Amino acid sequence: MKPVIGFAGMTHLGLVSGVCAAEKGFRAICFDSDEARVASLKRRELPVSEPELDQLVKRNAERLVFTSSAGDLAACDVVYVAPDVPTDDTGASDLAPVNAVLNQVFAATRREAVVVMLSQVPPGYTRGAMRPSRTLYYQVETLIFGRAVERALRPERYIVGCENPGKPLPEAYAAVLGAHGCPILPMRYESAELAKISINCCLVASVSVANTLAELCEKIGADWGEIVPALRLDRRIGEHAYLAPGLGIAGGNLERDLATVCALADRHGTDAGVVRAWVANSRHRRDWALRTLHREVLATVQNPVIAVLGLAYKQDTRSVKNSPAIALLEVLKPFGVRVFDPVVPASVVNHPRCYAARSELEACEGADALALMTPWAQFGKLDPVAIAKHLRAKTVLDPYAVLKAEACRRAGLSYYTLGAR
Amino acid sequence: MITHQHPQPQKPDRVVVIGARGFIGKAVHSRLKAESVTVLALTSDDVDLMAPAAADRLAAAFRPTDAVVMLAALTPDKGRDASTLVKNLVMMQHVCAALEKSGCAHLVYFSSDAVYPPELSRVSEETPASPRDLYGVMHYAREIMARSLAGMPVLVLRPTLVYGAGDPHRAYGPTEFWRSVREEGKIELRGTSDDMGVEMRDRIHVADVAALTVLCLLHRTAGTLNLATGTSRSFREVADLVASQFAGKIAVVPTPRKIPITHRYYDVINLIEAFPDFRFTSLDEGIRRVHGKTSGTN
Repeated sequence: MKPVIGFAGMTHLGLVSGVCAAEKGFRAICFDSDEARVASLKRRELPVSEPELDQLVKRNAERLVFTSSAGDLAACDVVYVAPDVPTDDTGASDLAPVNAVLNQVFAATRREAVVVMLSQVPPGYTRGAMRPSRTLYYQVETLIFGRAVERALRPERYIVGCENPGKPLPEAYAAVLGAHGCPILPMRYESAELAKISINCCLVASVSVANTLAELCEKIGADWGEIVPALRLDRRIGEHAYLAPGLGIAGGNLERDLATVCALADRHGTDAGVVRAWVANSRHRRDWALRTLHREVLATVQNPVIAVLGLAYKQDTRSVKNSPAIALLEVLKPFGVRVFDPVVPASVVNHPRCYAARSELEACEGADALALMTPWAQFGKLDPVAIAKHLRAKTVLDPYAVLKAEACRRAGLSYYTLGAR
Repeated sequence: MITHQHPQPQKPDRVVVIGARGFIGKAVHSRLKAESVTVLALTSDDVDLMAPAAADRLAAAFRPTDAVVMLAALTPDKGRDASTLVKNLVMMQHVCAALEKSGCAHLVYFSSDAVYPPELSRVSEETPASPRDLYGVMHYAREIMARSLAGMPVLVLRPTLVYGAGDPHRAYGPTEFWRSVREEGKIELRGTSDDMGVEMRDRIHVADVAALTVLCLLHRTAGTLNLATGTSRSFREVADLVASQFAGKIAVVPTPRKIPITHRYYDVINLIEAFPDFRFTSLDEGIRRVHGKTSGTN
C-alpha cells in the first residue's frame, strides 16, 4: 500500500509539491492553518500561476485533500513541511512561519511518521530543529517559478539531508522518493542545506558571466547570441548552462542564497567577495532598461510616455518579487506609463500616471518607447510593423530578445537588446 | 545612496553659498538667482575661513532655516601638500563649528572624485572611498566632518572633471587646450603618437553641476551623489573637439606621459533615479558653448 503524504503550508512550494504527489498516485493531505486559503483551494481557486497546475488539481481531485485541520495530518506516513520562506529586501529569510508550521506538524503527526523539511532553510537549521524520538529529514527543493510542475514531476535527483547518511531511509519515505526513478543522494543535513545554495550559486555565476560579457558585446559590436552556442558545446560548460543575459537576478530565492552565503562567510571569516560582486552585477544589469531609456528617450523627449509590457519578474509566473519592471516603473513616476501583463494586474504598480492597457498594442498606443520587461511567449508573436504603427516614437527595448531584431529594424524601430548593439 | 526629503521641489528659505566666487560657486549662485531663490553669497572677502573668528562670524550669519552650500577650498593648484591639507581642514572646522552653534536646514558639501582611487575605471557612489593623495584625503575628511554634524540632512556631492567658461584652473583638459591653441597654436596630448590622449574621462559642464545642485537644494536631498554624466570621452576626442572650434588646422601633438594610462567611467544610475528627466549638456554642445563665450562668437 502506498504511503499517505502530507504537505503543510499551501503556498507555492507546498501546493505544487502536494498536487504533483497526487499526480504520482499518492494520497496527498494538503494542510494550511489559513482557513480562507484552504477554502479557496477547495473551490479550485489557486493562489499561484504555473503551467499545468490547474489541470492536475482537477485530474487528481480524488487523491487531494485540502484541510485547515492539523489533526488530519495524523493519517500521514510522510509529512513535508513546505511553506514558502519570506525574504526581506536584503534577501534575509524570515524563519518564523516555517518554525510555526514545523511545530504544528510535530504535534499533529504520529511518532513513527517521517517529517521532511522541504522549505529552504539555512545551513544548520535542520539539526537544530530535531526532536527526540522523531525522524526528521531535509530535502532540497528545486522549484523554479514558471516550471514548478515540470520540476516536481520529473526531478533530476533528490538531495536528502540526514542525521545519519549511512542509515537506510525509512520505507515510506524511500517509497515516495522511489516513485520518480531518479538518483537519490543522501548526505548529512549541513551538506544538503549547502548543496541547494551551491546549485544556486553556480546558476548565478553563469548568469553573471553572461551579463558581464553581454554588456561588453553591446560596447564592442560582438553578439552574445553568436557566442552562446560555442559555450554550450563545451562539455565543461554544457548545453543547459544558464547563459541567457537578463536584467539581474530576481524572484527572491537566489537573492536569499547569496545573502546566506555572505552572512555565513562574514560569521566564519571566509571570502565572499565574488558573491558580493554577483549581487552588484545583478543590480547593475537590472538598470539596463532605465539607462537605455534615459539615454534614448527621457533625456531627449518632452513629457515622454513609456509603454511597459510585462510586470512579473519572469514569464509564466505572477510573482513580482524584485521584478525589474516594477523597479523601472518606480523611477518613471514623472512620466506617463501604459502597462500590460498577461497575468499580473496593473494594480500592483504604484504610479500616479499609469494606464492599464487591455492588450499589448493598446499599451503601445501613442507611447514614445516600448520596454518588453518580461519574456512572455505571447509577446514574441507581436508584429513589429503593428508596434511601429501604434507607437508615437519608435524606440523599443527588448532585453530578452523576444522579438526579432532584424524585423524590428525593418519596421523602422530603434531596437535595443542585451548582448548586441 | 540619496533620498529626497522633499519629494516635490520646494524653495529653501535662503541658501548660503560659501565660496561663491569660485568657478562652481559662481555658477551655483547664478542658477539660484535664476530660480528666484534668496542667496547669501560669501567669499573670502566676507569671511576669512582660516581666521579664528570665522566660526563666530559665520554663526552670526547663518539662520536655522538656511540651506548651506560649502564650496570653499584651496584647490590642488594652490598646493597638494600637508600644509594645504591642514588649512582646508581648519576652514571646514570653522564652518562646522558655526553650524553646530546655529544649525541649518540642509548642508551641501562639495567634495571631489579625488576620494576614489584613480586607478579604478568604473565608479559609483557604492565604490569605497580610498583617496591616494592629500587633496583626496582632505575632501574625505571634510565629508566625514560634515556627516558628523547632528540634526541636519547632509548631502555630499562628488563632481567629476568640471569644465566651462571661466574655469580659472589650468588642469590638463579642455580649458588648457583652449589656452594652448590661443597661445601656442597647438594642443599637446600625453602619450606617444600611437596612443596620445586615449585616457577616457567623464566631464560635466559647470552649468549642469549648478542645475543639479539647485535640484538637490529644492528637494533637500541627503546622502552622497556623484556629479557625472555617465558618458566618458578620451582626451584625444576633447582635443579634436576644441581644435575644431578654431579656423584652420590645429596641430595635436604628443608629449611624454608621466603616469600610466587610466580610464574613468561613472555609473550614474543613482542620479538618473533621483532626477530621471535631467538632461546633460553633451560634450560637443558644452565645448561649442564654452568656445562661443570665450571667443565672443555667441
